Amino acid sequence: MGGPVDPNPIDSQLRQVIIEEFTGVRCVQCPGGSAFIQDLLAIHGQQLIAVSIHAGDFSTPYSASLYDFRTEEGNQLLSYLDEPFGFPSAVVDRKLFTGQFDLQLGQGDWAGFIASEMAIAPKVRIGIEPGFNAGTRKLTADVTIYVDEAITAPDVRLSIMLTENNIRDLQITPSSSTPIPDYNHRHVLRDMLTQYNGDPISEPLSQGAEITRSFSFTMPADWKEENCEVIAIVSLAGASKEVLQAHQVHVVE
Amino acid sequence: MNPKNWLLLVLLTVVSQTVTAQDAENEQTTNNQGRLSGNLSMNGNFFIRDSAIGAANTPQYDRQLFGADSWLNLNYQNWGFDMGIRFDMFNNSNLLNPTSSYTDLGIGRWYISKKINKLGITGGYIYDIIGSGIIFRAYEERPLAIDQALYGIRLTYGINENWTAKAFTGRQKQQFGTYASVLRGAAIDGYIGSDSSSISLAPGFGVVARTLDDGSMNNLVATLNTYAKTDIFTPKYNTYALSFYNTLSSGPFSWYMEGAYKSADSFVDPFQERVTVSGDTVVGRYVNGEGSVFYSSLSFAKSGLGLTVEGKRTENFDFRTNPQEAAARGLLHYIPPMARVNTYRLLARYAAATQFVGEQAFQVDARYAVNRKLSLSANFSNITNLDGDQLYREIFTEIYYKYKRKWTLTTGIQLQEYNQEVYYGKPDAPLLKTVTPYADFLYKFNTKTSIRLESQYMNMNKDHGIRSDYGNWFFALAEFTLAPHWAITVSDMYNIDPGKLSPTDANTGKQDKIHYPRFDVYYTYHANRFSLSYVKQVEGIVCSGGICRLEPAFSGVKMSVNSTF
Repeated sequence: MGGPVDPNPIDSQLRQVIIEEFTGVRCVQCPGGSAFIQDLLAIHGQQLIAVSIHAGDFSTPYSASLYDFRTEEGNQLLSYLDEPFGFPSAVVDRKLFTGQFDLQLGQGDWAGFIASEMAIAPKVRIGIEPGFNAGTRKLTADVTIYVDEAITAPDVRLSIMLTENNIRDLQITPSSSTPIPDYNHRHVLRDMLTQYNGDPISEPLSQGAEITRSFSFTMPADWKEENCEVIAIVSLAGASKEVLQAHQVHVVE
Repeated sequence: MNPKNWLLLVLLTVVSQTVTAQDAENEQTTNNQGRLSGNLSMNGNFFIRDSAIGAANTPQYDRQLFGADSWLNLNYQNWGFDMGIRFDMFNNSNLLNPTSSYTDLGIGRWYISKKINKLGITGGYIYDIIGSGIIFRAYEERPLAIDQALYGIRLTYGINENWTAKAFTGRQKQQFGTYASVLRGAAIDGYIGSDSSSISLAPGFGVVARTLDDGSMNNLVATLNTYAKTDIFTPKYNTYALSFYNTLSSGPFSWYMEGAYKSADSFVDPFQERVTVSGDTVVGRYVNGEGSVFYSSLSFAKSGLGLTVEGKRTENFDFRTNPQEAAARGLLHYIPPMARVNTYRLLARYAAATQFVGEQAFQVDARYAVNRKLSLSANFSNITNLDGDQLYREIFTEIYYKYKRKWTLTTGIQLQEYNQEVYYGKPDAPLLKTVTPYADFLYKFNTKTSIRLESQYMNMNKDHGIRSDYGNWFFALAEFTLAPHWAITVSDMYNIDPGKLSPTDANTGKQDKIHYPRFDVYYTYHANRFSLSYVKQVEGIVCSGGICRLEPAFSGVKMSVNSTF
């Protein structure tokens, strides 16, 4: 047991923006989107969190695929966050930005809206203390929400995602009519420890409040724990689904 | 009270007065000098899930089960004013995004127009065009939920009998809102001809400018800042598009030409490679470039012979309200497609959407009426990119024979080559090559009763021993008409020799030979038309008004009502 050092410690936690990218192994333009997100991660570092959600028409695995990256929650999120007009598409902080028709954004809007979101101070900070038992493969995550500014919205939720990085498997790319076998799939949504749209937070979110939740999960044997991350998202639910803060930690060092 | 509500109030007042004085015998209602007219267009879709054909996994099939779209348009003319208002409704609609659901309703359009001597003033949502639309076209295409109305003001001025000028400014409509970029434009159109000469000219010149809004510019700059230095450029807030056009008519000849230029503008070139900061090579990036379109059409018509030759060259002419918009969204213009608009089901399956980044194309269309019974026609179109790579080619022939007033036969063959790599975005995919013979036979039992039989067979080429795309198709249709009210149609599109993309049976692992039946009943009474249809439709490219997009499969029941008054 004993979790890794949080690279974005709670005392000095900045706004962390989440980009949820909708993709698929049969989506020829999606590797371009993923590569663009890598650039954005390189620019913004710990302040940007990326999740690749395999869902929709292009996500059906090939017969020779090693993995099926689709998840029930991923499919639900696709519907919850508006079906995109085309792939790749992404949602930034689940926010409906001025001038946008829906939450789904084409690549041309990702960088700008990520930058504008980072300028907003977080109303809450999130602490995650992960623990992983290599013998039992049991993952635990103690999540604490620190409320810095009172939130009066009637429905606030906590979502916990598990992602895995650097999975080598088939992916169609613009370079070939056949999928390449060793494409590096990054930050793939593997599972969620809450409902797809988050578990409701029933406690009052008054300034100074601290709300704690604990989660546990047994990780499948074929997931590489050193590549896995726990992501916590505090978001609204209802007419606005806006993310108030997100946070990410490695499962192990 | 906002302008929409004021106009609605005025129209409702007018309608209430008009209806009181309505003469039931008159189809068009009048009151004093006033004239009220309108139309209703309404579609209802009941979605019946059929995962075997891919009609599944959208909100409509999963849970909503019903969707409807409706447009109710009212126009009123009186006191020298023209005014109109349109109520739009989208309930669980899949028109805007075929894989999603869109629900909203409200005033989709209003306008008010007044002519004061030579000056015409129009305010509200305006539909208009400059030339053939290459630099500006504000229009709607309801089957694809395209509504590119300009929300603003337009002034027109009749300089003299033959010359008119117009100027406008506003923003482009976006569903029930507007895009933020500001547009302005002007055009002058004329006519030069005389009674003593058979030659006439109809020249025109137009200009349109777009100023990017700060939000779009900020997002563009933020994206460019992630690019490698070699790919970064300084985007412009203002882009100008100019167009000169003219129709020269002389006897049986008519020659239209248009040349358009667009100043440096930022747009996505889907074929340009970019090396990311992380070292990956990706396809598609923003570029900054000037654009041009040259389009010309020469027609000849005399003694039963009609000939049309068209040519077009397009380079970097993706002109949108902002560069972040994609597909058919936010387009400020319309570039005519350079291929025949086919109507028969299989012949229309592969359509060549206009390529804004680069395309050169020509088309020849010939029609010859041998006599009153027999006519022949042929069409050849060829589209390549600017490097000469084949995008689309079509050879189409048609023979039309009419036997007295008893029956007619229309038959011919179509050959197509279709670039999947460009139109479908499939890397390294070979050209689709189809051969499709067709026949259409109409037999009139009497002046009111007739039957029409239609049949087509599409033969698809093979790639590595497997038929490309969906493979071979057979289509048959029977339409029974009982004029003036009833028409009943039964058809089936049969995937007789499935191809690479045909759905696979989950149990056997083999590709199914699937039937896509359709049954329609149409009833027309005066200006009202009703239809009820049971439809199974394969996914494919659907084009309307020259704009194409990929539509998923459909399974369910469709109803429609169209009415004018």
